[in-house]
Amino acid sequence: MGEMHQILLKIGPAAFRIASAWRRPLEQLEALYQDYPAPPGGSVDFTVRLEPEKPWRRYIRPSVHIGGDFWLPDAAPLPLRHGLLAAEMGMNLQMALGWRRHLLLHASSVEKDGKALIMTGLSGSGKSTLSAMLAERGWRFMGDEFALLCLESGQIVPFPRLISLKNDAIGAMQSVVAENRFGPEMKATPKGDIRHLVPPKDAIARMDETARPVLLLFPRFGHSPILRDMGLSEIFVRLTQASTNYVALGEPGFHALTRFVDQIPTKAMDYQSVEQAEELIDSLWSQLP
Amino acid sequence: MIHKYRAAPNADLIWHDLDSMMLLFHRPSGITHMLADPAPAIIEVMEDAPLTAAEIASRLTVLFDVEAGTDAEDIILARLEELSALGLVSRVSG
Repeated sequence: MGEMHQILLKIGPAAFRIASAWRRPLEQLEALYQDYPAPPGGSVDFTVRLEPEKPWRRYIRPSVHIGGDFWLPDAAPLPLRHGLLAAEMGMNLQMALGWRRHLLLHASSVEKDGKALIMTGLSGSGKSTLSAMLAERGWRFMGDEFALLCLESGQIVPFPRLISLKNDAIGAMQSVVAENRFGPEMKATPKGDIRHLVPPKDAIARMDETARPVLLLFPRFGHSPILRDMGLSEIFVRLTQASTNYVALGEPGFHALTRFVDQIPTKAMDYQSVEQAEELIDSLWSQLP
Repeated sequence: MIHKYRAAPNADLIWHDLDSMMLLFHRPSGITHMLADPAPAIIEVMEDAPLTAAEIASRLTVLFDVEAGTDAEDIILARLEELSALGLVSRVSG
């Protein structure tokens, strides 16, 4: 194995070492994460390794294999031009498979007045784009991928990594955010077209500031705007499906999730535009106790 | 052959009431079960005694508005077998 380059990153409560056989993905990461703090004492929770699939593939049609403390054996290698995506996928994988300090929900979250709005749903529900848009409209961005639920306090802990914009969301955000906050556009990745967006400065500066969850939404893009009630059983089941570590956490996870389901008002929200979603969210927000 | 069944020890179970279902966290396995009626009531009336389906049926008729009869016993027996497969009750020999 040849020389490895590396950088250290702290995102919310998690610290990462990203090691790469190539310099370029790390240079891109460094530029996009330049406002993020370094992990205190240089100690990290996870290591992600971007390595050639075969030694000779370091130079010839270079192909990035994602390795690290936790990995999936069937993760397909990516071409080097998608190295930044490989690094981000590697970091997500470490969190999804290895994080144990909080109940991890596959959800986006934003905050206002110390209170957090959580949005969860399947890929394509628009939860990531909504959080990115709301972050440009007076809300503090807490995360577009994982909401971390504190097992003891029930607070939401920010995980404000780069916002991963896909396909149509790229153009939508380009129309409202300055160009210097975007990473390179990666065309035709396994997840479609991808472009990373640096969260607002405020979101990065306040990455250690938790918020009390007060509203949970299951957004669904592409349907006439409406809010619907959901049964507690349905909410519980969908949240266990949205959590990557519920089973691993055992009894503390059960208590944290049942408390969350009992206490947090929840709605399913259909919408066709950010404006519609914002209107529905504002109406719910103004009725909160 | 009439079997007797015994529920998992109460200390191993954490119950949580949701609207239409009952959550049951089984401590030894770490598995969360979601139970619909009448499974929670069956486990509740079993307490710590080995009981037949008929005995459970008669306990249920005392506590709940259940019509006694072979039909109820069949339903209880079917639920007991399902709960056995989940490790929440066990068949007791003898």
